[in-house]
Amino acid sequence: MQLKPDANGARGRLIAASCALLSATAARGGETSNSGTGGVLADWSLDSALAYYHEDGRIQAIEPVVNVRKTYADGGTLDLDFTFDSLSGSSPNGALSSREVQTFASPSGKSLLVARHLYSVAPGELPVDPNYHDQRFALGADWALPLMRLLRASFGTKLSYEDDFFSASANAALARDFNQKNTTLSFGVNFEGDSLRPIGGTPLPLSEYSLFEKTGNKSKDGAGLLLSVTQLLSRSWVTEFNLSADRFSGYLNDPYKIVSVIDGGGLSKGYLYENRPDTRTRKSAYLENRVGWERASAALSLRYMTDSWDVHSQTAQLHVRGWSAERDRYLEPTVRWYRQTAANFYTPWLPSAAAQDAAFASADSRLGAFHALTYGLKYGVHLDDKLAREGSEFSVRIEYYIQSVDHGATAPGTLQGLDLYPSLKAVFVQVGFSY
Amino acid sequence: MNHRHKLYLLLIIVAAAALSGCSSIGPKPWQRDLLSRQDMQLSGNSLDDAIDEHLYFSKEASSGGRSFGGGGCGCN
Repeated sequence: MQLKPDANGARGRLIAASCALLSATAARGGETSNSGTGGVLADWSLDSALAYYHEDGRIQAIEPVVNVRKTYADGGTLDLDFTFDSLSGSSPNGALSSREVQTFASPSGKSLLVARHLYSVAPGELPVDPNYHDQRFALGADWALPLMRLLRASFGTKLSYEDDFFSASANAALARDFNQKNTTLSFGVNFEGDSLRPIGGTPLPLSEYSLFEKTGNKSKDGAGLLLSVTQLLSRSWVTEFNLSADRFSGYLNDPYKIVSVIDGGGLSKGYLYENRPDTRTRKSAYLENRVGWERASAALSLRYMTDSWDVHSQTAQLHVRGWSAERDRYLEPTVRWYRQTAANFYTPWLPSAAAQDAAFASADSRLGAFHALTYGLKYGVHLDDKLAREGSEFSVRIEYYIQSVDHGATAPGTLQGLDLYPSLKAVFVQVGFSY
Repeated sequence: MNHRHKLYLLLIIVAAAALSGCSSIGPKPWQRDLLSRQDMQLSGNSLDDAIDEHLYFSKEASSGGRSFGGGGCGCN
């Protein structure tokens, strides 16, 4: 039930095409590109990865990803992406921990009286649906081509399919070089249409959970703009600054999330399905700097994002890569820091006295205030000599992610003393192969 | 001219000044050996970036910035 953001989208294709042109001179002057393969395969490259993600006591996922690229003689590229996700485990349903045993129904359930679809949560435990599972297939195609000596265009499309979610998006971008190709300006647009078919139906927003009032399928649409400036500052320093904005409208709720209704003594008075505003506008600024040395490089990225739900976030990420003396192996430690404020309708629970007056409410912890840290390490080995092909690489990457709630509200009555805001800890392992 | 228009005008002037100022900085075409390395590409680890974005998109309220963020479902 996820859609992979277009992290490798139109702007990335344009930069990649630009870099292919930029590095062509070096390739012609020195090493022979793809010297050992020749023929049809010489124009093609493969990038693949198998990722495993495991949360402590919650979700686990396995995700194979394959990217195939054809590079044309004029520097243009065609990329085809294939992604498969398989998720399983326990997913928080939004309800609050309690001193009592709590009973819920899986999304396909139609009543709290049919035992087949029920699950119970022990006192003090975070309510999670233990039978969560989902699979996603995604296909992407991107084409970048030079229009004139200093002007390039790119077009892309992406399709993503899950049992309860389908998404289609298309993007286009133009990039123009200036100043002996040291400066690049690019502008891109993206359009997306999503269809949601929640398992068991779409719950009526803020309806009583136990009544199972559900309707049919829903949809949402979005459009985005991205303006980017890339500047080569010196022989070893490149910087990029992006401004982006997007707006989504339609059904923006998570159909599987509920909110606990609590009285003044901390006792449960039931649950309501969540409700979010039906539009969301996001704006972000992104700055990345890369600096290189003979046997090392560093990349620092900073991002500020704000949206119409009053979420403000800051992200800082640093990669440092160190090469062996032969430049055939590298180690790359990574650290990432992230912080966000809560959406203005986020609430861990609804007081029973105010529940009827709520227009919007969500207890989804991803909309709450928290900070997160990621520590990672990547090890890569170049296989150019062994496989007789430049750019061949085997890599292993491991990351540890920990998310901790900020400013958690103090719970009333009997809920005091419970861990209402448990931290999220996850381990991520990825094996990669490029050819 | 209201404040917003003044801000746009200022941004355009700053962008034009920055572009003209950029004409004197940056390497010559024959000085781009380091910049052509894979680890110096702004999208050099596109597969890693895409997988990371997917992970963070599912766990956090923000996404995108480097490129388009996507609206997605992220229901887990």
